[in-house]
Amino acid sequence: MKRSELPSRILITAGMLLAVGTPLFFWTRTPLIHARMAENGGWNPDVIQAEVGNPLHLRLTSDDVMHGFSVGQMKMDAVDVEPGKVTDVTLTFDKPGIYTFFCTRWCGVNHWRMRGTIEVSGPGANPEPAPTIPLYVTLGFDLDAPHESPVIPSNQPSAVRGQQLAANLEISKFSNPDFYRTNSPYQLFEALSSTNLSELEKWDVVSYIWQSNTTPEALTNGRDLYAQNCAACHGENGGGDGVFADDLAKAGEASMQSMTGATDMLMQTPVDFTDSKRILGAAPALLQGKILRGGMGTGMPMWGSIFTEEQIWDLVAYLYSFQFDYQGEAQ
Amino acid sequence: MAGLAVAFAPLPVQPIRPQQRTFQIEARQFAYSPSELNVNPGDTITIRLISTDVVHGLYIDGYDISVEADPGQTATLTFTATKPGSFRFRCNITCGAMHPFMIGKLTVGANDWLFRSAGLAVVAVLGIVILVKRS
Amino acid sequence: MAKIELTRNTSIKNALISRYPQLAVFVVMLMGYIFAILAGLVGTPVGSHNFSIVFVWIAWWAILILVAVPFFGRGWCAVCPIPLPGEWLQRGAVLNPPDKKPKWFNLRWPKALRNIWLQNISFLLLALFSSVLLTTPNITGIVLAGMLFAAIGLSTIFERRAFCRYLCPVGGFIGLYSQTAPIELRIKDKQVCATCEGKPCYNGSTNGYGCPWDVFPGGLTKNTYCGLCMECLRTCPHDNIAVNIRPFSADLAKPSTRMDEAFKAFIMLGSAMIYAGVLLGPWGVLKDAAYNVGTSAWFIYAAVFLSIIFLVMPSFFALCVTRFENLNIFKKRFATLSSALIPLGLMFWVAFSLSFVLTNASYILASLSDPLGLGWNLFGTAQTTWQPMLTSILAPGQTLALVGGLIWSARTAQKAANEAKVSAIPVIGYCLIVTSVMLWLLL
Repeated sequence: MKRSELPSRILITAGMLLAVGTPLFFWTRTPLIHARMAENGGWNPDVIQAEVGNPLHLRLTSDDVMHGFSVGQMKMDAVDVEPGKVTDVTLTFDKPGIYTFFCTRWCGVNHWRMRGTIEVSGPGANPEPAPTIPLYVTLGFDLDAPHESPVIPSNQPSAVRGQQLAANLEISKFSNPDFYRTNSPYQLFEALSSTNLSELEKWDVVSYIWQSNTTPEALTNGRDLYAQNCAACHGENGGGDGVFADDLAKAGEASMQSMTGATDMLMQTPVDFTDSKRILGAAPALLQGKILRGGMGTGMPMWGSIFTEEQIWDLVAYLYSFQFDYQGEAQ
Repeated sequence: MAGLAVAFAPLPVQPIRPQQRTFQIEARQFAYSPSELNVNPGDTITIRLISTDVVHGLYIDGYDISVEADPGQTATLTFTATKPGSFRFRCNITCGAMHPFMIGKLTVGANDWLFRSAGLAVVAVLGIVILVKRS
Repeated sequence: MAKIELTRNTSIKNALISRYPQLAVFVVMLMGYIFAILAGLVGTPVGSHNFSIVFVWIAWWAILILVAVPFFGRGWCAVCPIPLPGEWLQRGAVLNPPDKKPKWFNLRWPKALRNIWLQNISFLLLALFSSVLLTTPNITGIVLAGMLFAAIGLSTIFERRAFCRYLCPVGGFIGLYSQTAPIELRIKDKQVCATCEGKPCYNGSTNGYGCPWDVFPGGLTKNTYCGLCMECLRTCPHDNIAVNIRPFSADLAKPSTRMDEAFKAFIMLGSAMIYAGVLLGPWGVLKDAAYNVGTSAWFIYAAVFLSIIFLVMPSFFALCVTRFENLNIFKKRFATLSSALIPLGLMFWVAFSLSFVLTNASYILASLSDPLGLGWNLFGTAQTTWQPMLTSILAPGQTLALVGGLIWSARTAQKAANEAKVSAIPVIGYCLIVTSVMLWLLL
């Protein structure tokens, strides 16, 4: 062997080991949380361990499309999880429990299924306080029973007109949150039958009372929540015609094979919030219940572990704005 | 000589009054619909981008402007078509494997450059054929 | 313009003959190649942020088609890492020949396969799957690894660089287009070779190995199959081999009469046009068909792709050159006149590549700092945002390339037609038509 042959071979071998070893070494030391569309596996890993008080450093990357990350029931700004790039997030928990993390940028019709859990152990509010029982359960509402309003307004009710009309009415018993939450707009409409207002005027008053149970900030919050979480299926204008409505209906078609096929298919199409019959017959607690629980086999996600109570009431208040004119001609 | 004429001579331009135009473009993996837009120079263009599956963007070559839309949140891009010619628009939010090839075409006025280039090609060929015949 | 002999300069000559500079380049290239395989297999699945996609299909491709091939012909082959491990095994050494040669099979490549048809097929295979290959890191990693192992395997069974000469998909078109390049390796004096004993340039000696490309340097008149590996420079005892600078497309003055090379020209011309339409066009249905391998849409796409290349384009060309006479004469004429498509095809690829390279070159900076998409920032450029570069020169550049290519191919057609004593006009017309189609597809 020539003199320079051996050093050359060593150089080549060293070079190759370097080219393979260094990246592999650092790759094994870089644990990442991979985000993928639900169809491709969702979050990986999807269960994370943490301790109360110990900052949890997460490094997130997307393996396909744009995703986002946030933790439910926690005050945090969502972060984007970009394809091929790494986002760093640090979370600190002061109470133990199971937290749900979820994707915040629409990534396909199964976007809402992209969820995982963070199991936080450690000292804190132990034992767990009894979970709040949702209102619809206390009231005994059947979330899946039809709730059609027998009467619907001829025109869109106006809260501004309603306010003027209500000035002459005794409505204090209707203006409290308990009444608002447990009754549908139709039920309030019926309760106003003792007045001598026309049908549309009664609806105007209903819309005013509905508006008075919320605030402009809450409506704005609800509007943003709706745009980010609901519009993709339910439509930007509430018509049940969002970009995924077709896909959901098609999924429902498959169930046409069953005995209850037709009903199933109906159930699969996102609700049309401009459908007065359906919405005016629904009490806020009913809508809250549907949002909390989700759709039982339809494409409607359950939001119980994600939204706070306040967020859901804001959203519910916003939903009625597809029925009622909260802006008014005086705007 | 002829080549220079083809390359640089001004083409007759029909002055068309600029209008306001709105286009609704649906974006999916990996195409736009519609994918070809034709407008006149000076038009004020509004593009409403509707993503139908994942987050997409729309970036216009040459104009260097862009917009991105999440499904459920139509995004709007408004601009004036001051530069004439043909410009590709493409997705600028990684949206899957074929993302780099998610492309559409915006033509402002006529695709002058294409006509000039084709003209140059013809002139070049004629030149060569004639030159050789002469020699 | 006459030839300029580069190797007359002693520093250049010594740099080419010495094995050390070449070895240094080889080590870097092989490290990069192995790293690309690794990145493809374990790095992020997002192509635009994975070293394997960015550095193979954007950076390397750009340098190959815009610089290496037009100016250095088979210059890439001179530094390509793919044959190296197999060759080192085959030779039993990484530098000069060892005293004891290893006993591999060293079979001669089968006669029936001593053409570029296998390379035509291997290129087409990659082309049909290109939408997936160009965008999916682990597929790129697998293909790169596959080529490496194929080269190693073939080196242990056959003599010389069998993979490079007969199988490599890149080598097929680099060889064809190297005929247009301004650089060449040739002997200086034919008489010297005639009286040379043993022909060590082909058979090897203690100073070096016989031509790995299975070329007899003494008979080398075209660039097509010479990989610029410089072995013959080392073995020639008579200092009769030179590396020259020469006018562009000098080799096309003696066009080949081989059908495999003729069809290679159609394969390259046609695939450039199809790529321009499918990848850079606004027609989503074509992209779906190209990407969804295995669906009926893809089969239709593949069938159309192949029929454009093997039926439509060659038949129209045949109409331009036929005199409806003896088949053999026709075949010769078909092959020689199709050499006009060589400079045109090269320029088609340049124009096409300019577009996606300028659009996506910004990924190169990001990928340098974070090659595996793991959140590293080695050189501080990991957050470079995507931004198309130099867009104002794109359209003029493409026009220059395409019209320039058309002029070049028309001149080539005229010279070839002159030799064949036919009119060049139909072929020039053909070139004008396909160039106009390409202009329309790209602009």
